[in-house]
Amino acid sequence: MDVRSQISMVFHLDKCIGCHTCSIACKNIWTDRKGTEYMWWNNVETKPGTGYPTRWEDQEEYRGGWEVRGGKLRLRANGKAKIITNIFHNPSMPSMDDYYEPWTYEYSELIHAPEGPDQPTARPISMVTGEYIDIEAGPNWDDDLSGSPVYAENDPNLAALTPEQREQLFAIERLVFFYFPRICNHCLNPSCVASCPSGALYKRGEDGIVLLDQTRCRAWRACVSACPYKKTYFNWQTGKSEKCILCFPRLETGQAPACFHSCVGRIRYLGVLLYDASRIEEVATRPDEDLVEAHRSLVLDPFDPEVIAAARANGLHDSTIEAAQQSPVYKFVKVWKIALPPHLEFRTLPMLFYVPPLLPVMSSAETGKVANVSDGLFHVADESRMPIAYLARLLGAGNEGLVRYALRKQLAVRSFRRAATVGDVEKSAAERMLAEAGSSPEEADAIYRLTSLATFDDRFVIPPAHREEAIEMMKDPLQHKQEVGFGLSVAPRRGL
Amino acid sequence: MLRRENRKKRAFLTARCLIVGVAVGSVRAGSIGALFLVTMGFSGRASAQDAAAFFRQNCASCHTIGGGRTTGPDLKGAHERRSRAWLERFILDPPGTIASGDATATKLQREARGVVMPRVAGVTPTVVGQLIDLMRAESALERSQFAGMASAQRPLTRADEALGRALFSGARRLEAGGPPCMSCHTVRGLGALGGGRLGPDLTGTYGKLGGQQALATWLASPPSLTMQPVFKGHPLTPDEALGLVAYLKSAGSRGGAAETSSVNFVLLGLVGSIFSLVLFDFTWRRRFRAVRRPLVTGGKR
Repeated sequence: MDVRSQISMVFHLDKCIGCHTCSIACKNIWTDRKGTEYMWWNNVETKPGTGYPTRWEDQEEYRGGWEVRGGKLRLRANGKAKIITNIFHNPSMPSMDDYYEPWTYEYSELIHAPEGPDQPTARPISMVTGEYIDIEAGPNWDDDLSGSPVYAENDPNLAALTPEQREQLFAIERLVFFYFPRICNHCLNPSCVASCPSGALYKRGEDGIVLLDQTRCRAWRACVSACPYKKTYFNWQTGKSEKCILCFPRLETGQAPACFHSCVGRIRYLGVLLYDASRIEEVATRPDEDLVEAHRSLVLDPFDPEVIAAARANGLHDSTIEAAQQSPVYKFVKVWKIALPPHLEFRTLPMLFYVPPLLPVMSSAETGKVANVSDGLFHVADESRMPIAYLARLLGAGNEGLVRYALRKQLAVRSFRRAATVGDVEKSAAERMLAEAGSSPEEADAIYRLTSLATFDDRFVIPPAHREEAIEMMKDPLQHKQEVGFGLSVAPRRGL
Repeated sequence: MLRRENRKKRAFLTARCLIVGVAVGSVRAGSIGALFLVTMGFSGRASAQDAAAFFRQNCASCHTIGGGRTTGPDLKGAHERRSRAWLERFILDPPGTIASGDATATKLQREARGVVMPRVAGVTPTVVGQLIDLMRAESALERSQFAGMASAQRPLTRADEALGRALFSGARRLEAGGPPCMSCHTVRGLGALGGGRLGPDLTGTYGKLGGQQALATWLASPPSLTMQPVFKGHPLTPDEALGLVAYLKSAGSRGGAAETSSVNFVLLGLVGSIFSLVLFDFTWRRRFRAVRRPLVTGGKR
């Protein structure tokens, strides 16, 4: 057992209101520089939809992530042989057009336009070329465009549905969509790291954050094509690739990353997971339908004395183990089993988990008015407006059972709370639902608390970074001990 | 503050430049001294052998001493035919002497069918003196070491011509490892694409240099500024030289100049480019093209 710690995340999709505050927080801090205009380390997509970059989930086109060939994991796009033969022209490289061309407006037109019969307008200008452009796409171009023939209908996940289900999904008055915020998943088996010919990408040992060394990056851009989530970006100004750094300077000082901190719907949770690194390859080569459970089995119980001993033997600080015990992510993923990783079939083992959305109200327009279909306020998971097959394709690597389990447990918790606060649901019926969903009143209460009442400290359990220990490797903190204190640490500049 | 900083930096840079300049200057003075010493050494004890070596390398390709006329005149008894002053002046700067309208020099040029003796690198007044001494000494001998190559007179055969063609085109390597002629020269009848364009077309060379002996000796140690350094360490064997002579003779007998092959060349290039583009397109047929644009312009995919 090779126990390591990973800062992991849970996004509760049922709570996301699609306000893009996270994206803006991230943009303002990290990607407001020249060359990074088109990057959104954090972006929010509408599902069903094509996302950003367009149809990123379609690995037939983009060829990101891993595939199992001959029982072994291989990079889909650029294994060692392919990277050498294609080093001057990467055949799987998306162009900026597949993201969007960033733009600003010529605001001076509003003030300085000559007098004329029409209202002056601010014309859009490309932030890359400086020329006037016609805006054709944006990072959230398909926002709320559920049912649109161009965007929603081209969602690659719809392949999991029957033609009948697809038709229903886009029928007037039955349209459905939910939001899907995305950041770098800081995967356990990152294909971007594996693909880099310069060795510029690395997974930080102490907390598993995947970083890109700007001094070692040689602009091969193999990471851009290799990441199946398209979360590494090429800075066209500096000629280096960049990616989400999970705001590690904030984490190291005990603050939540900016997108987590600013989240209006409080959908984001962050905490440490302990995992068994020795089993990564074995887990990543499992067949699709076993992947989610195998991935979950990688996460170790931080209360198990054996795990604690192995963690200590591996040099993990007691404070990290303590943080793992209080981790909200551990509860969502391992204890309650209601958070699932996105597109695990790409086999990078993402460490960002999503609680699938309920989208409860089932309605139809049969009588000319919009009316509820199911009897009660809450429906049966299988009659969800968003077909379970779709969610399973997105979050369960095709395994519907796991998604159904997560949805049913959430429904049961809602009924249970409804019985407690409003009283229009029989308490015994609610408890029966809980039992059927494999839960208990105690667990339902805990889920309710962490979902609805959680404070900052409940949502973000950040382990101390122990930078003081890291600094000891480079500097002796006691170097000046017992010195008299005269003199200057920086010598003054005198004379000419 | 910033400006003062800059001024300081500039002063520092100037100082550094000065130091570097002085250093470079002193190195150059040193090398001049060394050159001087070398020259002194050359004029010393070993001068007779050095002069012979110099003659073999630079003069023997056009001149013999007692071997008869090749490209240039036979130098046996030249010191008697001309004054020492005239010889010194001519050897130091042949084109200059001809240009000055000197009657003897003009006559010599006519005799050489217009071939002008080039200014030879490394010829100094000291060297000229030694060369004239060498000429006098060798003329006195019954058979000079510079009487010309014995093999250069034998009749050329078909086999020589075939060998010459193989050597010229590089189909057969030169024994001493020199580069094949074709890498720089072309000649009439060489093939569809011709040879190199760096050096001159060699079709008329046989006639221009004045026949078998002259060309063979020329080839044995090419004196021209570009060819000398290339073949200095890789001289042709007598058989190779004769082979090339035979080949150039037959090429010259066909007359005219080498065929211009630029059309063939461009056409071949065009065909090659199209072929490689098709090959690339096929090899990378599954490459990423675009996702968003076809989605928007074509509606459904």
